[in-house]
Amino acid sequence: MDDGSTDSDPVTAGESSILDTLGEDVIRIVSPVSLCMLLVVLLVSSLSSTNDLSSSVSSLFLSSTTTPTSFSSLNLLLLGSDSTWEEIKSALVTALSFVVVVTLLTFLLVLLFYFRCTNFLRIYMGISSLFVLSFLGGFIFLLLISHFKIPIDPFTFAILLFNLSVVGVFAVFMPKFPISMNQGYLVAIGVLTAYWFTMLPEWTTWALLIAMSLYDLAAVLLPIGPLRLLVELAMSRNEEIPALVYEARPVDPQPGDRVRVWRERTDVRIEATENSTNSANVQTVQETRLAVSEEITAPLIEAFPQTGDRHLGTEEVEDGIGLGSSGAIKLGLGDFIFYSVLVGRAAMYDYMTVYACYLAIMAGLGVTLLLLAVYRKALPALPVSIMLGVVFYLLTRVLLEVFVVQCSSNLLMF
Amino acid sequence: MRCRLDSLSLIVCLHLLSIDGDDDKGERSQIGDTMTVAAGVGYVLIALGPALSLFASVIAKKPFLILTLLSSTLFWLISLIILAGAWRAFLPVKSTELWPYSILILTSVGFQEGIRIGFWRLFKKMEDMLNAFADRVSKPRLFLTDKMQLALAGGLGHGLAHAVFFCLSLLTPAFGPATFYVDKCPSIPFFLISAIIALGFVIIHTFSMVIAFNGYTEGKRKDQIFVPFAHLIAALITLINLVPGGCNIGLPLLCIMAGTTLYYSWQLVWRRLTEHQTTRSSD
Repeated sequence: MDDGSTDSDPVTAGESSILDTLGEDVIRIVSPVSLCMLLVVLLVSSLSSTNDLSSSVSSLFLSSTTTPTSFSSLNLLLLGSDSTWEEIKSALVTALSFVVVVTLLTFLLVLLFYFRCTNFLRIYMGISSLFVLSFLGGFIFLLLISHFKIPIDPFTFAILLFNLSVVGVFAVFMPKFPISMNQGYLVAIGVLTAYWFTMLPEWTTWALLIAMSLYDLAAVLLPIGPLRLLVELAMSRNEEIPALVYEARPVDPQPGDRVRVWRERTDVRIEATENSTNSANVQTVQETRLAVSEEITAPLIEAFPQTGDRHLGTEEVEDGIGLGSSGAIKLGLGDFIFYSVLVGRAAMYDYMTVYACYLAIMAGLGVTLLLLAVYRKALPALPVSIMLGVVFYLLTRVLLEVFVVQCSSNLLMF
Repeated sequence: MRCRLDSLSLIVCLHLLSIDGDDDKGERSQIGDTMTVAAGVGYVLIALGPALSLFASVIAKKPFLILTLLSSTLFWLISLIILAGAWRAFLPVKSTELWPYSILILTSVGFQEGIRIGFWRLFKKMEDMLNAFADRVSKPRLFLTDKMQLALAGGLGHGLAHAVFFCLSLLTPAFGPATFYVDKCPSIPFFLISAIIALGFVIIHTFSMVIAFNGYTEGKRKDQIFVPFAHLIAALITLINLVPGGCNIGLPLLCIMAGTTLYYSWQLVWRRLTEHQTTRSSD
């Protein structure tokens, strides 16, 4: 492929500079995360414009501190004027109960994995993906149809939905499926789940994000953390954990078969009837009655081959930069979901916060990847990004917006 | 629907426009709907067209340049947040005098140009790391064109950040069925003005980074002085927009400034590359 440098520098006709391939792995993980966030922002901005009872502007006007959205708005209006403190309290309770349930479930998962009930786990993950794709996907599809007034009859809709969900389940769990379909369906599951989470009330969403990032930090780094136990179990047995993990492999197959260390996720679902390892019922206090599928965070890990011949060539890992390794980076689907929830919630305020939070999350992801290259073990992908995202959201909302609007409305730019 | 408000009430008006538009959606014809989305997309493309084509042709091919772009966008955002934090206590400026705004512009531009030197130092460090990595994997070191592409990606990141935060984030009502005119400039819609100004600044930021990096590397005073100067003049030109009817003069002047920066950078790069080529062929 001809790049610009070959035209102007005659020596590079045959050579390639390191700039050509450096950073490919990172871009292969940044693109799907960005795509997921973009889809969630588009969904939120096209679907929530009719549901908003008050926009961010009137909150500026009326100097209230929260923005009620969708299903919770009626609740808040009924609760009365002191709703802010009530909201914060209920948000904290919700987030705490969520984290407790997720911790219990993860320990249950570790136990099941210890007793080698892998098939059970796989079947359960398949059923939960089917649930997300068909029920959540169907619901959001219906919202889109009613919003954009798409003419479609129920039979076509049912057939389409059935086909898409079944293929999705196969794409996610069959080992020999084309990797691009696998990746595409994982992103779709992430988008659907994240959109669902943005329907939570505002304070609950933020409390949940912060609580989950703290949980992720503890679960992966502490010696008694469930995720760390799970990874060590899988490593000691050279097995794969059945989980929903996005693998940033290129579409062309890599030579050699490597055993990968998986990061795992549990499916936490509201109103699921069975209570198995990977899912649980969480009936939260202020939630809506709609089913929400949730997956706990999966730390960011790098695949390193456990078996025999490692293909060393010139692609050695550079400690200082951490790029160019011979394995694919794996990012758990829960990380996709929580990043998109943060950006989706920022989209409910204004687009400026969306851009600022997007950049913050990318910066956090970059920092995490750097740490991954330095420490070479499983790391939590949530804490840095979510914390940076929350900080940037607050800074933008408090400082930046006033400044930029003041300048732009007077047509002053620099 | 026209509203003649200013400063913070602008946010009210813009959001009311977007909500209002959605309520009327059902009654409007299909053509009316698509026209307004087309208008919004048009404004986005005016502001970001050259940036997108630069991205697609130069930057998207090399993953490392995309990463450089993202980090320089983040850098610019952080500098903007610091500026906003410093100025928060004095906003909103109620007066229509020129001098508070000129102090605002002077401090902002000065701060950003100071940060550019810091950015250059980071860039040098990164270059050294890349060269060390290249030695380790026994590939050739960074070529001159590589360094210039890195500078281009950095500058494009700054320009992109400017366009996104000053123009795109306020464009949401443009996707609805109404438009908006500012008091001081009743002849051109607000969105179009901000799109054209963003276009000018994208070009200025992108190419002044190329000029600045070359100037700092070579140590030439002329290049080093040109960049802050150009940035300052461009920002001061937007001060003309404060005068009623001033935007009719301010916009073309800004475009001339952008063209000047582009021309200067072109001449510099051409000179540099031909010099480099002659030194290589004479080896």
